[in-house]
Amino acid sequence: METVESKVKDQLDVFALRDQFPVLARKVHDGKPLVYLDNAATAQRPLKVIEAMDEFYRYYNANVHRGVHQLSVEASEAFEGARESVRRLLNADSIREIVFTRGTTEAINLVAQAYLRPRLKEGDEILITHMEHHSNIVPWQILCEQTGAVLKVAPINHQGELLVDELAAMINERTRLIGMVHVSNALGTINPVEEVCRIARQHNVPVLVDGAQATPHMAVDVQALGCDFYCISAHKMYGPTGIGALWAGESTLEEMPPWQGGGEMINRVSFDGTTYNDLPHKFEAGTPNISGAIGFGKAVEFLEETGLEGIVWQEERLLDYATEKMQAVDGLTVIGTAKHKGPVVSFTLEGAHPNDIGTIVDHYGVAIRTGHHCAMPVMQFFGVPATARVSFAPYNLRNEIDIFVKALGKAREMLA
Amino acid sequence: MALDQLYQQVILDHNRSPHHNGRLDGATHSARGQDALCGDDILIELRVVEGRIEKAAFSGEACAITTASASMLMDWLVGRSLAETTAAYERFSQLLDEPESTDDPELGEMNHLRSVSGFPARVRNALLPWRTTLSALEC
Repeated sequence: METVESKVKDQLDVFALRDQFPVLARKVHDGKPLVYLDNAATAQRPLKVIEAMDEFYRYYNANVHRGVHQLSVEASEAFEGARESVRRLLNADSIREIVFTRGTTEAINLVAQAYLRPRLKEGDEILITHMEHHSNIVPWQILCEQTGAVLKVAPINHQGELLVDELAAMINERTRLIGMVHVSNALGTINPVEEVCRIARQHNVPVLVDGAQATPHMAVDVQALGCDFYCISAHKMYGPTGIGALWAGESTLEEMPPWQGGGEMINRVSFDGTTYNDLPHKFEAGTPNISGAIGFGKAVEFLEETGLEGIVWQEERLLDYATEKMQAVDGLTVIGTAKHKGPVVSFTLEGAHPNDIGTIVDHYGVAIRTGHHCAMPVMQFFGVPATARVSFAPYNLRNEIDIFVKALGKAREMLA
Repeated sequence: MALDQLYQQVILDHNRSPHHNGRLDGATHSARGQDALCGDDILIELRVVEGRIEKAAFSGEACAITTASASMLMDWLVGRSLAETTAAYERFSQLLDEPESTDDPELGEMNHLRSVSGFPARVRNALLPWRTTLSALEC
């Protein structure tokens, strides 16, 4: 192991960081060390998250907000404490603005149905970009089918960058919402959200941001960005699956009707009528994912304790190193070469289908993603059926990239 | 090792130089088979005369396993009846479920594809050409 790798600018001890992730010590396929380069699909979980969730189930498992007994009080405090952690993560004004959801996908669907649907008339427009994940395409398509609204798509260039001027030119008096991804999972592109929000504000058009891939890699300040909705998933940022959040301004959430009905989101129910609970509970029908929320809160703490500056520094190093090593591979094309990129490299390799590359490198212990990455329009734009993708976290090592590139060579030898 | 079993020479050869690869003039039956997740997208075209497959061809983009499976299947299909094809699909599926079973002489080279069973994520690739063929034949 390179000693140089163990300290990043005295900010991040990578090996100490790795020790926090038990799965990284795993061996796969007859004793090969796991090289986990599929972090954009889901990151791994540190002990802090795993243990907090375990502790909840062991010591104070109870339903929240409804009990007078000690366990329920403890569970409610931990659950609402996690909401405060998510508020801090996004620099929201108040915990009333943090709605727990199953993840980014559910947050977008909530906005589509509870915010936009009542406002939409036939012929109104929803504007998204060509690099969206399916979760920021399909809910709008469903909404268009329901209302007669029209989905418009802002173009990208061959580096995988959003053409902001073209997007701006597409905004008109019928535009009711702009949906855009902060960091593209398929290309790595970091979009100029602040700039788009500024343009949108001039036209009084609200902006929804899919931030699933942003929070693990950068500081997100919803107030500075100037967006109207920000959607995130815990599992992309070292938290558990099945939990995420929607951030929206308090007045916006107040105006919105409930989305799902049930327990927890009500104030008083009678057969003559029902009144709804306060924010954010109005949007959280049913028993929530309590352990998930607690794990989510701990994931925020993990990011705070590790320090985003060190994380970004390490990820940029990994991205630069991987890009350089991969571009030296004969027949390899990087898909997505934006100037501002997150730690993601999508690629194709001449004569080797991504699926076969994935299977072969897996045999050498390297976990990568292959396929369309839930972004089929991106694949269509670049004229490829699928790509292979490596994506990094701060616990990855340059020597893991070497192992991957070597495995890539084996794939090429085998298939060429 | 298992990887060598999956990408054994006969499979790699079919992938490099697939048989009956291209469009088929005078096709009477055709179907498109897509596996959106991994990006496979194939077109199977058949010429059926009096209940028997006279010609078969496939085209499109696919991974090595789908390509090899399609190539071997196209070879096998020529001269087969619809009933034979349906019955063979059952036997081929079984072969992938039970890789320890003995070779099925009826399936010829396709017996080599049993190694795919060790890679559960790839079984659907070996089956895609078959399913597409049955869909073309409306079996």
